[in-house]
Amino acid sequence: MKPSALQLGVAPPANRGIAILDFFLRLIAIVGTLASAIAMATTNQTLPFFSQFVRFRAKFNDLPSFTFFVVASSIVSAYLILSLAISILHIVKANAVNTRVLLLLLDTAAMCLLMAGSAAATAIVQLAHKGINKVNWFSICQQYNDFCKRVSGSLIGSYAGVVVLILLILLSGVALSRR
Amino acid sequence: MDSSHSTKESGDIPIPVTNPKSSKAAPPPVVAATTKKTAKHPLVSRWKRGLGIIDFILRICAIAAALAAATAMGTTSQQLPFFTQFFQFKADYNDLPAFTFFVIANAMAGAYLVLSLPFSIVCIVRPHILGARLMLLVFDTIAVPLVTAAASAAASIVYLAHNGNSDANWVAICRQFNDFCQRVSGAVVASFITALVFIVLVAVSAVALRRK
Repeated sequence: MKPSALQLGVAPPANRGIAILDFFLRLIAIVGTLASAIAMATTNQTLPFFSQFVRFRAKFNDLPSFTFFVVASSIVSAYLILSLAISILHIVKANAVNTRVLLLLLDTAAMCLLMAGSAAATAIVQLAHKGINKVNWFSICQQYNDFCKRVSGSLIGSYAGVVVLILLILLSGVALSRR
Repeated sequence: MDSSHSTKESGDIPIPVTNPKSSKAAPPPVVAATTKKTAKHPLVSRWKRGLGIIDFILRICAIAAALAAATAMGTTSQQLPFFTQFFQFKADYNDLPAFTFFVIANAMAGAYLVLSLPFSIVCIVRPHILGARLMLLVFDTIAVPLVTAAASAAASIVYLAHNGNSDANWVAICRQFNDFCQRVSGAVVASFITALVFIVLVAVSAVALRRK
């Protein structure tokens, strides 16, 4: 019988290319999630008028969904930076199977967390833009214009991070099945 | 062991044959062929089949959870027994776009799960086919963020409905619409369970993809 690559103990050459692509995609995801976390965390808009009882300042702290988004994005970007090490290991040793499965599982958990944070923030941003008049929740974006624009922009980076994480999971799956 | 027994198939148990060639015509090759195939991969097929059965059972649980979430959210409608001239005291899931997205996303996830049951059965019956397993992995990976997004967007609106937000002047509406809030919160919990089951399905597919 023709000896397969597995029996010879050598990985198929495409696995190394997949590992290099994995490394570069991870770098892109780090940039996206880190940028969105920083952009959301540095929001601070104060309106130029004030009264004695009401405070006219908007920060990300004021809405718990945005706090969750900043925390989730930071955790995922820290995980992605740490997983660069495993990615380099896969470039060097291209026939490692167990670490690839572990990386796939951790990537799935990270993508889930990032998507949860982004979706919660998106729901609040949509509410802030449009409001729901039926339950007396009015839109705040007409007053806090800069705040709204910055928050909406930071969501783009985190959705890009989610898409890149999905690609990373699919790449790991393809690399696992090529033997 | 026996000089009269021909050892053409290697997985055979040597059976002492006293009669000449007429007695070992048809039966031994058939037995030898099947024992050779399972003798080479007995443990691999068995655990892959086990993983396939776990996958199938989890898929059925996820169908129940996703459809329960979609119907619980989609059939909410509470009307308060008083009204004024300008304000309408009726709460529907249609009023909140996050809830509309929730119903659509969970219904899509339930439909996908029902359609993926045949592929799961194929993976149980023929565990060495990698194409079906890889396809399940791809589509499950797309379904995880969809269901997670729907669940967490609805959860953030439900949190706001329970607690309100004084900085944005958003009043908590759950004190008035109590039934609506309870039902909607239950639907969100069911959807989070669906997302968790999807993650376990991705893990099962990843482990089962390894060729040994």
